[in-house]
Order: sequence, then structure tokens, then C-alpha cells
Amino acid sequence: MKRFVIAVCLSLPLALAGQVIVNTPLSARLTGYDIDAVLEPETHIVSGDMTAWWVNSSSIPVGDAMMHMYLNAFSSNKSTFARGGRWSPAGDDGWGWVRIESMVDAKGRDLTDSMRYVSPDDGNEYDRSVLQIVLPEPVQPGDTLWLQISFKSKLPSPIVRTGYADDFHFVAQWFPKFGVYETAGTRNRESDGWNCHQFHPNSEFYSNHSVYNVTVILPEEFVTGSGGMFMEEMNLGEGMKKVVWRAEDIVDFAWTAWPGYQVMTRKWRDVDITFLASEKGIRNADQQFEAVIYALEYLDDRVGPYPWPHLTFVDPPMSGQGAGGMEYTTLFTTSGGGLFPSFIRLPEMVTIHEFGHAYFMGIMANNEFEEPWLDEGINSYWEQRIVDDSYGDGYGLVRLPFIKMSDADQGRMNYVASPSRTISTNDLPSWMYPHGTYSMMSYSKAATWLHTLEGIITTETMDNVFREYYRRWAFRHPSGRDFITVVNDVVRSEHGNRFGEDMNWFFDQVLYGHEVCDYIVSGITSNKIRSYSGVVDGDSVTYAKRDRKSDTLYLSRVSLERPGGLILPVEVLIGFDDGSEILETWDGKAAWKDFEYTGTSKAVWARIDPDDKIDLDVNRVNNSWSSDQKFPAARRMAKKFIFLMQVMISLITI
Amino acid sequence: MALVRVLKKGAADAALSYKQLLVIWVVSLIMILFVSFPLRVMLNAVFGNSMAVMRLTDGFDAGLLGDVGKPFLYLLSAAGTGGLLLLLAGFLLYTFFAGGLFASYATAWGGLKMTAFIKESARNFLPFLKINLLTLLIIAGYTFVVLGIPAAARMALSKGSMPEGGSMAFLYFIWILGLPLWLFVADASRRWIAATGSDRAFRAMGAGFRALKERFWLSYGTVLLILIFNAIFIFLSFWYLTSSVPEKGGMIFLFFILSQIMVFIRLFMKAWRYASVCEAAR
Repeated sequence: MKRFVIAVCLSLPLALAGQVIVNTPLSARLTGYDIDAVLEPETHIVSGDMTAWWVNSSSIPVGDAMMHMYLNAFSSNKSTFARGGRWSPAGDDGWGWVRIESMVDAKGRDLTDSMRYVSPDDGNEYDRSVLQIVLPEPVQPGDTLWLQISFKSKLPSPIVRTGYADDFHFVAQWFPKFGVYETAGTRNRESDGWNCHQFHPNSEFYSNHSVYNVTVILPEEFVTGSGGMFMEEMNLGEGMKKVVWRAEDIVDFAWTAWPGYQVMTRKWRDVDITFLASEKGIRNADQQFEAVIYALEYLDDRVGPYPWPHLTFVDPPMSGQGAGGMEYTTLFTTSGGGLFPSFIRLPEMVTIHEFGHAYFMGIMANNEFEEPWLDEGINSYWEQRIVDDSYGDGYGLVRLPFIKMSDADQGRMNYVASPSRTISTNDLPSWMYPHGTYSMMSYSKAATWLHTLEGIITTETMDNVFREYYRRWAFRHPSGRDFITVVNDVVRSEHGNRFGEDMNWFFDQVLYGHEVCDYIVSGITSNKIRSYSGVVDGDSVTYAKRDRKSDTLYLSRVSLERPGGLILPVEVLIGFDDGSEILETWDGKAAWKDFEYTGTSKAVWARIDPDDKIDLDVNRVNNSWSSDQKFPAARRMAKKFIFLMQVMISLITI
Repeated sequence: MALVRVLKKGAADAALSYKQLLVIWVVSLIMILFVSFPLRVMLNAVFGNSMAVMRLTDGFDAGLLGDVGKPFLYLLSAAGTGGLLLLLAGFLLYTFFAGGLFASYATAWGGLKMTAFIKESARNFLPFLKINLLTLLIIAGYTFVVLGIPAAARMALSKGSMPEGGSMAFLYFIWILGLPLWLFVADASRRWIAATGSDRAFRAMGAGFRALKERFWLSYGTVLLILIFNAIFIFLSFWYLTSSVPEKGGMIFLFFILSQIMVFIRLFMKAWRYASVCEAAR
């Protein structure tokens, strides 16, 4: 124990101030972990000795500590995660768990008797994913809590984010990790306290930015990768090796080991990018690197710099696809490389999405449990912009001669086509979304209203919003309210009161409300204006008789309606039979609106939101109306169908 | 030079049967219109007066699915089901008329009268259907042996990944080279039925194989050459189908006319093969 105290004293300055990767600390670094681990591939158990520290940055003494024990979500069928119905073990060996074998503080006091499992979210007595440790003495403001912990972690199978499949190991959520101690005011919190949620099926995570020094001993045939910067690898003899990584200012540390990995590296500016994949997946490396670099450049330019000099991404083998599509800031997993033809950009889309999480939530470290839209929604919005801008607007996701789809449309479709789109507001904690709407609401609806916000305030202002959001809140745990404040400040500085005093009216509807947006052109009428004639006061009158057709005046009426409860300002483009066009704006507040025009030409078509800025409109088919029903597209499709069938019939008959 | 003579005679016989080809074209077009017209009406009903239909200008914009919702799924479902029914009906229709065409080429060098053409079509329908199905079965088996088994073996060896690379391209080449054999046998069998008036499909297949054996290079060369022309023409047809985006009513009508001319040429090329095989097997 004395050795531990000495080691703590010696490593304290290094841990707090040591700079190996970045020049100056990016975050407050309130937590840190030094872990020496051993992987036993046969039993899929990782044994670890860990020094974990937490700095009390609050102004009050703190008498307990809370830790995530997330592998215990896989330890029984009654855990909150398993009850969600998404997981059952692959045989008796499939259960996963993490056990603390010993825990002492800096004074050598055994804390194992002070540990108890708690379930702050649902009170589930069988859940073991959150551990509370009652400390023998409170941690004073500014003091550091040091814990020396020995643990064993058994990886689950099948893999859901973490686990093993044969000799493939994806080791995430694998060690006891501190929750976030939030001081009053953080994310609008009223009083100090731990924020440490259980492991839910439909949620990801919330952590402090930390420093990690991790060593792993494992058989030498295993190829490894992690979210840390590779420091060194030592051959220990007898077929074993030790790998050393260090990571700074990231919210979680995950690693992977598999003998079948192929490794490729590229460099983008000062960032070393490493790609690990199967023999088949590595063939897709060029496309995958291209996607990552698209995303790096895009977000670096429009949001803020990617601050680490390293990035690793993994395309798991087919048996380990459960690990695919997940993010650990400087390590992320993609999926499906090599499985899709080149006209479907699904693997690239996954790669861009998961990389984007390095910003949202990796850099921001917002609370994904409580405000999932703040990372999944924002990240999906950026993913869609990057995919469509990089691979082709209108066909970023699918591009074939007969069929196309943009990534933004794919996301929007999930929302507008959902029968449950009005079931709840968009600000619920992740596990509270009813009827399986978590994904639709957190990803799709949020991304759709962010596109709409971009349409209203312009792309340039939207980019400035995110630059400012990054500048103010990088590495500082922002809340949704903080994001809205940034939007309000930037919009006000760039547009004044053009959209009102602030943009709260927008967020009140799209984030805190559940109405849908739908605007309709219900019809267009154009009637001749007859000359003034009739019998008035006994006298017959006829004025302004027109003798030429071109003199005929028409009264055209364009009728608009708003059946949806969500109110947004819209533009309306109206076309006349002489080819002229008029662009109108409607504040959209009334239930209906008529635009009337008197002139020698008739209004023949009208289109609400002609530039498709309002992605939230749940039905764009009714956004337009034309008096010419003979649209060429339908006729052409019919003719092509006839031709296609004739050719096909002649092909299948011998 | 026998090959050139056979091809020239086949083309001449096929040209002589232009009236029969016109009948086949008209009947198949009417059949397809029975499905395509309601589909167009449905499409118009789904979109009403909306200009959103313009998003179909440059191919089908799948983003529309969310806006239109279920009606579009019904439309796609109707188009899919209707298309499959058309393929089935088209297969039977072409099988039916092939009876008349073979009778025309085997017995009258393309100059069969219309009533006799219909009568022969009806008489030969069942044995022709059997021969067609048997030939499709043979081609399926041939495909399984030449492509399926090597692909499965490669997938097993490469732990589940799809086979690719030069060796599969070679196998595709072999598969294409073998295809004319089975088509010649099917054509020669049908010629035997049409010439002898028999309805015994298996005996006809035997006769087809015998004809192949007796004049192998002439038979094989005839069908291979016509198939190459056909393949080029089908490629052009699909290219035209996918790349042509007529915008206005007149251009759409022109597209329709050109597409129907291409369909008729394709019909003629099929008849050319029938007539050439009849000549080669004579």
C-alpha cells in the first residue's frame, strides 16, 4: 500500500500537467485513469489494475463517488439493458460482467464494503450498472480522490458495442469509470451532484474528458488498436506482448484486438489516421479514408479544429458487426465496408457519422443520456451535409440511373413517414422515448429541424453558430439551452431582429413541442374581370369595354393553408402564364392565406418553399399546385415502363 | 460461306414474315398497356396537381417516399405485381406466337398466311411450352455448374466473401460461349415440331441435339453471331432507356415511337434467329 501512495504522489504532477499528445490541456481533466490490463482471449476476460482519480472542482465537500459498471448490463436478463429486449447471451459463456476485486483509497483504506449498486433512472433492483461508493471522508473542494482498483471484466457475446466473437475482441465500457460530478449551473443544474446514469438499450454515454495511460498484455498474434496514441509495444517472450497507449482529453477509452486485422495508415495534415479491417474490409480502405478526410476537412473548416494528432477507425469483421457504428472520440467503428456496390454510400455514411461524433459529443461531451438530440441529432445533421456535399447533392446516398436518394432525404424520410412523429417532444431523455421512437426523434427529427433552421437563418449563419458553439463549449459539457443561447446570439448579431427577438419561438416548437409542419397550396383560380355593366339606379351602365384579347384582365387567387400546428415563415413562388414569377413571403401564422393578383396574365402554378428550405414540412407533395396536370415525368415514366417490359419479355423468352 | 448463306436466308425469311411480327408487336403492346395505363392513372392520382412529380424527372427520387407515404408503396406494389404478371403473360404469348413463326419458316419460308399462322401457333403451343421450360431448366443447370459451383467453392474458401476477380470473368465468358448451344437445340427442336407436326417435346429435343451434332459449327456459329448482334442491340436499348430524359410532350412521343421501333427490331432479330436455325437445320 505504501508503494501505491508513493506512486500516486509521483504520478500526480505527471498526470495533471503531463503533456504527451497535445501541447496544452484541452479540458479541465477532472478524471484520469492509469490501467494495466491483461487480456485472456480464451476466457475473454480482461484483468486490470487501475489507478483512477477524480478532482472535486465544486465548492462543497463530496462524500461519495459514482462509477459506471457498464459491463454488468450484460450480467443478467433482468438488467435495465437486457430488459429492453435487445440482448441475450450466446450460451452460458455469453454473459458479460465487471467485478471489483479490491478498492482502496490513497490512504490505503479498503472501500469494498462501502460499495453498493444504485439505479437512479428506473429503480431496477437487479441492475448493476451504476456503483456508489460512500467515502470514509468527504473529498474537499479542490482535493483529489485517488482510488486503486483491481477488477476483472468478462466481455459479452454477442457484441452490442462491446464484447467478443471468436477471437475478435472489442473492449469498450470495460473498466469502472467515474460518472460526471456536475456543479450547480452546469447544464442548467440547480445543485451540485453526480450525474451517473444506468446502461440503457437506447442510450449512449456521458463522461468527463480524461487522461488515460493504458497498458495491455496479450498474445503477440493479436493486432490491436485503440483510442489512445500508440506509445510502444514490447515483446514479453512466451508468445506475449505488451502494448502501451496514452490518451488525453477524451471521454472514453476503448480498444480492440484481433489476429485477423489488416492495418493501413494515412496522414491528414498533422493527424495520423489508422484503419483496421479484415482482409476483405481493407480493400475498401481508399473509400473509407476518403470519407474520413472529407469529414475532417468539412468539420475542421465549419466547426473547429480536430485537436488530436491521432485517429483510429475500425471496420469489424462480419462476426463482430455488433461493434460497428460506434464512437469513442479518437477511435470509432464503421461497418459494411466492401458489402455494398459503389452506388450505395452506406459504409461511407456510417464512417462520416461515427467520425462526426468526435465533435458531437467527443469534444462537446454533452449528456447523451438526457439530451440525445444534442449529439445524435446534430451529428446526423452534419453527416448529411458532408455526405451530400461530398458525394453529390440529391444523390449522396444512392445514385443509379433509375433511382437516387440524398442522405438528408433519407434522414427526413424517417421522420416524416413515421406514424409516431407527434408522440412526444424532442427533448426527452433517451430512455424515455415511447414506442421505439428514440432513433426517429433523436437522430432524424432533430437533424430535420436543424436543416430547417439552416434554411431559415442561412447556411453561412448556421456555420457561424457551430463555430461559436465550438468556441464557447468545446470540452465543457454544454446543454441544449446552451446551444440555443449560441443560436440566439449569433442570429441576433448577423440578422438583427429579422426573425424576432430571438429564435426561441423556433425551438419551442421543434424541440419542446410536438406539432408537425405542413403547408398546402389548396388551389389556384383565375377569373376574367368583367367590365362594369348592369342596371344601376335604373340606368344601364357599361364601362371600359375591351376589344382586344390582350386587354383582358384576370383576377388570380392562390389559396394556401396550414393544416399543421407548427408555424414557420415560408416563401411562396407563384408563376404566371406569361412566364413571369413572383416570390411572396408568408409568416405562416394564420390557418390560411390568399394571394390575389390582377393583371393580363393568369397565375398557373404556385410552390410553397420553392428552395426546399423547410425540411420539417411533412408533405412536400401538397406544397405545390399547377393548372397543367400533364406533367411530362408521369408520361415519360409510363412510356419507359412499357419499353422496359417489352425488352424484358423479349429477354426471358427463348 | 454456308454461315453467310444461312444468315442471309434467315434474314430474308424473317423479313417476309413482317405481318406476323407486327401482330406480335401489337398484341404484346396492348397487353402491356392494360397494366401501364392504370399505373399512370394511379401516378397522377397520387400526385394530383402537385409539381412534386417533377422530382421524377431525373430518375426516381426516393426522398419522395416519405412525403407520399403509403399511396406510393401501393403504386410500387402494383407496378411490381403488374410487371411480374406481364412477364408471365409475355412469356406465354411469345411461346404461342413462336409456334406460328417456326411453322412459317420451316414450311413456308416466312410466307405463311395470317390464319395459318394463328392456327399453327395454337397447334404448337403446348409442345413449344414444354421445350421452352425444358430449355430454361437446362440453362439453369448449366449456369449452376459453370457459375454456381465455382462461386460457392470460392466463397467457402474465402470465408464468406463474394467471389471476384479474373477467374470469375473467365467463367462468365465460358458461360456466354455455351449459351448458343442450348438456344440452337431449343430452336432446332421447335423447328422439328413445326416441320413434322408432332407434339412430342422430348423427341423434338432429341432431334435438336442431333441437328446440333450433325452440323455443329454451322449451328453454333449461326446462333452465336445472331446472339452477339442481339446483345449489342439490347445494350443499346437499355442505354437508350436509362439515358433518354425527354422533357416535353412531343419529345416523349418521339421517345415512344423510337422505343417501339427498337422493340420491333428486337422482334425481327429474334425471328432472324428462328429462321436462320430453320435454314441451318434443314
